[in-house]
Amino acid sequence: MKRIFAVALGILTAIGGFVDIGDLVTNAVVGSRFGLGLVWVVLVGVVGICLYANMAGRVAAVSGRATFEIIRERLGPRAGFANLAASFLINLLTLTAEIGGVALALQLASGVDPMLWVPLAAFGVWIVVWRAKFDLLENVTGMLGLTLIVFAVALFLLSPDWGSLAGQALAPTVPSSESVATYWFYAVALFGAAMTPYEVFFFSSGAIEEGWKRKDLMTERLNVFVGFPLGGLLSIAIAGCAAVVLLPEAISVTSLSQVVLPVAQAGGTVALSFAIVGILAATFGAALETTLSSGYTLAQYFGWSWGKFRRPARAARFHLSMIVCIVVGVLILFTGVDPIAVTEYSVVFSAVALPLTYLPILLVANDREYMGTEVNGRGANALGVVYLVIILIAALAAIPLLILTGAGA
Amino acid sequence: MILSDLIGAQVADAEGTHVGTVVDVRFVIDGNPGQLLADARLAGLLVSPHGRSSTWGYERSGATGPWPIAQWLRWLHRGLFLVHWEDVSMVDVGRVALRAGYERHDAALGPRTSDG
Repeated sequence: MKRIFAVALGILTAIGGFVDIGDLVTNAVVGSRFGLGLVWVVLVGVVGICLYANMAGRVAAVSGRATFEIIRERLGPRAGFANLAASFLINLLTLTAEIGGVALALQLASGVDPMLWVPLAAFGVWIVVWRAKFDLLENVTGMLGLTLIVFAVALFLLSPDWGSLAGQALAPTVPSSESVATYWFYAVALFGAAMTPYEVFFFSSGAIEEGWKRKDLMTERLNVFVGFPLGGLLSIAIAGCAAVVLLPEAISVTSLSQVVLPVAQAGGTVALSFAIVGILAATFGAALETTLSSGYTLAQYFGWSWGKFRRPARAARFHLSMIVCIVVGVLILFTGVDPIAVTEYSVVFSAVALPLTYLPILLVANDREYMGTEVNGRGANALGVVYLVIILIAALAAIPLLILTGAGA
Repeated sequence: MILSDLIGAQVADAEGTHVGTVVDVRFVIDGNPGQLLADARLAGLLVSPHGRSSTWGYERSGATGPWPIAQWLRWLHRGLFLVHWEDVSMVDVGRVALRAGYERHDAALGPRTSDG
């Protein structure tokens, strides 16, 4: 059990990237409209986030610097602030969506209107951020989030035509009912979700919270190479379930109840309860991840003391900024906005945040002053540059595609 | 004086010939003893003859990777040098003048043996 808990940080980080509320729905939408025709994007995203999260985690363990500290140091105040503004908006919009997502998951379990759950969900997030120890919060949400594996189990129980699924995945085509632009919009959305910047902010800051040092580099790698592929697997399983059950019936996914429909069909009430627990844990975990990331990025940019390893009074601005974020999130939700739609627009801010986040990580991972002998090898650098180009292209394409397709409508 | 008064300033020598742009400054920590560290003292300016942007840290480390980025930054800031603060004769808005006979120093920091 201790072994499993050792990778909890990686698992929780990946859950926030791959199966938070926006992605739960996006994955099911993609499955119900494109089958497994976008699985390759998830795989490209998993490789990219493994590469860069590993660099960020290594930099944190060896030099004791979290990602936003090196962003500020390498890019200077102006470009660093541009990144802060964009990343902060992504965090805030995602945090808003996750609180809404927790409320939607509670509605799924209880039938009570989600608006009534919002204050409770927000309070829950705050009290955990304020009181709970870091390893407790990552262990509980990470492990409970793993019950989302029920989607993979459901896929097997549905006994689909594996040949046709493999065909969709290996020879992707754009269905005749969809436009090429829509296909690429979802490709960019899935890639952006896989590499969303708060993952590296949270992972590198979590490494400092856990006190990782050079001797913990194996643990760091284990977290990366177990957590993120697992996140990718869950994401593909959700798309797969939708491809098998919802695609043939031409059901268009707009809500969480449709996301879990295939699970209920395959495994009945028991499987459905697992799925609900998983969704609740995943959205709650993602809410914690984005709340803490808001605090981490602000504190690391402005040089405030931060971290849950300090008592709140010793990191007052860090905690206060997170409280403000949660309150703003609740206020946004009370306007009646659809929490799931909120995350779609955070793709826009990724255009600025993604390149300005991953470039400094790559630069510092090459700096012997920080890294000593633990600098990047040639392979990591070559792949890092290739991914930087992919990130730039995706970032530049994101906004035109969003406008052109009306957010994938 | 704050840092942004210096960064981006145009640098001329004693004859008024343009020699570059201030892209960064170098501090040493050897001032009055403080609580944790001694106070920082401004040691010099990093002047780039061609580039105006940040050096992304390549001027002080021997980092050569990732190859395309390192090459590009080194080319952009070719001829970059450090002038000691004592060699600065005047600082004006957006303008820095150097003393006659100022010296151009290598901007690299000495090799580090510590493991970080």
